[in-house]
Amino acid sequence: MEFDLENPFTSFVVEEEQQKSDTILDLFVSESDHMPSQNFTTECLEEEMEDFHVSFRQEAVSLILQAQFSCNFEPFIPYLAVTYLDRFIFRQQIQIGKPWIVKLLVITCISLAAKMKNTHFPVSEFQREEGFMFDAQTIHRMELLILDALNWRMRSITPFSFLCFFISLFKLKDPPLTQALKDRAIDIIFKAHNEIKLIEFKPSIIAASALLLSSHELFPLQFSAFKASISSCEYVNKEKLLKCFDTMQEMVEMEEGFDSISMSSSTRTPVSVLDYKCSSKSSVNQRTTTTTAAAVMPPENRENKRRKTNGFCSENKFQVSRSQQCL
Amino acid sequence: MEKYEKLEKVGEGTYGKVYKAKDRSSGKLVALKKTRLEMDEEGIPPTALREVSLLQLLSQSLYVVRLLCVEHADSSSSSSLNSAATDSSSKSNLYLVFEYLDTDLKKFIDSHRKGVNPRPLPSTLIQSFLYQLCKGVAHCHSHGVLHRDLKPQNLLLDKDKGLLKIADLGLGRAFTVPLKSYTHEIVTLWYRAPEVLLGSTHYSPAVDIWSVGCIFAEMVRRQALFPGDSEFQQLLHIFRLLGTPTEKEWPGVTSLRDWHVYPLWEPQNLARAVPSLGPEGVDLLSSMLKYNPADRISAKAAMDHPYFDSLDKSQY
Repeated sequence: MEFDLENPFTSFVVEEEQQKSDTILDLFVSESDHMPSQNFTTECLEEEMEDFHVSFRQEAVSLILQAQFSCNFEPFIPYLAVTYLDRFIFRQQIQIGKPWIVKLLVITCISLAAKMKNTHFPVSEFQREEGFMFDAQTIHRMELLILDALNWRMRSITPFSFLCFFISLFKLKDPPLTQALKDRAIDIIFKAHNEIKLIEFKPSIIAASALLLSSHELFPLQFSAFKASISSCEYVNKEKLLKCFDTMQEMVEMEEGFDSISMSSSTRTPVSVLDYKCSSKSSVNQRTTTTTAAAVMPPENRENKRRKTNGFCSENKFQVSRSQQCL
Repeated sequence: MEKYEKLEKVGEGTYGKVYKAKDRSSGKLVALKKTRLEMDEEGIPPTALREVSLLQLLSQSLYVVRLLCVEHADSSSSSSLNSAATDSSSKSNLYLVFEYLDTDLKKFIDSHRKGVNPRPLPSTLIQSFLYQLCKGVAHCHSHGVLHRDLKPQNLLLDKDKGLLKIADLGLGRAFTVPLKSYTHEIVTLWYRAPEVLLGSTHYSPAVDIWSVGCIFAEMVRRQALFPGDSEFQQLLHIFRLLGTPTEKEWPGVTSLRDWHVYPLWEPQNLARAVPSLGPEGVDLLSSMLKYNPADRISAKAAMDHPYFDSLDKSQY
């Protein structure tokens, strides 16, 4: 019964091809229910969210990544927690001026995500480490509040759910290449979750763009064929796909720009505050003027560290199970 | 829960009481299914979380009763954020709010058997209901969910639209209520698959198909196919019609936990049990009532059976 993000609709492996195609149709039909807001675009972001929301989300995301690091969670747990967080904060009025709310919300979203993934979340230990303490009752009340706001739709449809389907459109014959393509796309999807400009896109569009971007990097010669096959898929809105692809490419380039050259931030505007925050490793005072986030270390950096130190085991296991499912 | 006005208790589902209620703001009728939720120091039990969210997902099918929302109510009145409750576990109730349908297949069949105007169910209606049932069951199975208690009472009908919807989907282990002893009503065995009656611990989607077969026959006959009143009697009912199963047609049957030595009955002609059903219908029925669960037709395959050839599938 454990919830699998690549297979949100089943609790066992579906063998019949017909059932698989039924499920993928269901995914496309229902994915909007799992988005923060169905009519959401970056244009309305400025007005509706304002700086408060941007920094609120950013602080929450940092805290979630911190939990991933200190509890050594598999990356899908924080991912799921962020999906709950996004849906909650776009639906609910968050009170300004109560800094503890973000912490309570984060703890609870992680708790729910861990339960969906059947993983233990050491709530007290994590709170002690972070220097705050909510009692169990408060967290339980918050759980119910979030469940209520999300209407108990906790089997989130995420971009991961669409990867196998889109890859099958490519008709690739080389399993290692397929795996490489998918792994890079997964990387991009994890990164894209921190990019607030990408919130407006449906999970399927994010998945398709990430795969295209991955193929653009890994197999540039086949890129246009891949693009054609994804664009011809009846469920994919081409315009949105292109827009998403561009934003994503910008995000990745920005990140690599920051990584390779020590950029002076005046020459390039960050894609968004969040992206800037996640990729920038320089200019501490610049960061403090733009945001109010409490993170000590940029999340990206922290994630690398986690991978280097203790992420190998879980990550390898994770890849094995993926290749079994898809190839 | 002030949002709803409880009108009457309409039944006891497998997991708790069911009430007919009215949504005070919209005036719409709903069915409230009350379930006790055991909250421990870990908060919402993970199984409850996963299963209710699965139910939420399944109910998006037209052929599954729609879960409109989930409401939570504390049974202890005084608990609040500020109360320094020393008791870390608290009992509370979860209300699953479903769309309300006022009739079910049992009532519908009953109304055709007795009353002022007894008459058979129109064969096209049987065909349509069975197709919708297969479609709903296929939907559940494709999501990895077994119903395990399909029976006419659990199939709700929208008579105006001619729709059949599956209700009372089994929430497996999430809730504290034990399967049998919660209600004092007799749990019906009539639709239970032989492997379950014989104590098999391995449940497969085939258990639901057996029930579908029994329901199919019941729509045609207007009375139950195997009306047993104990597990033993239930098996004898089945064996008398379909013959006592042998190792040859069902390998492993004699090693099932509750297998005993039974009289050796020869299989009867199934068509005689459903005299008004045509040969294609009998063929489909017999493939739903295969002894070996591995040989039983799947819900998906049943939808493509020739019995449905004359049905306009595009409307479903």
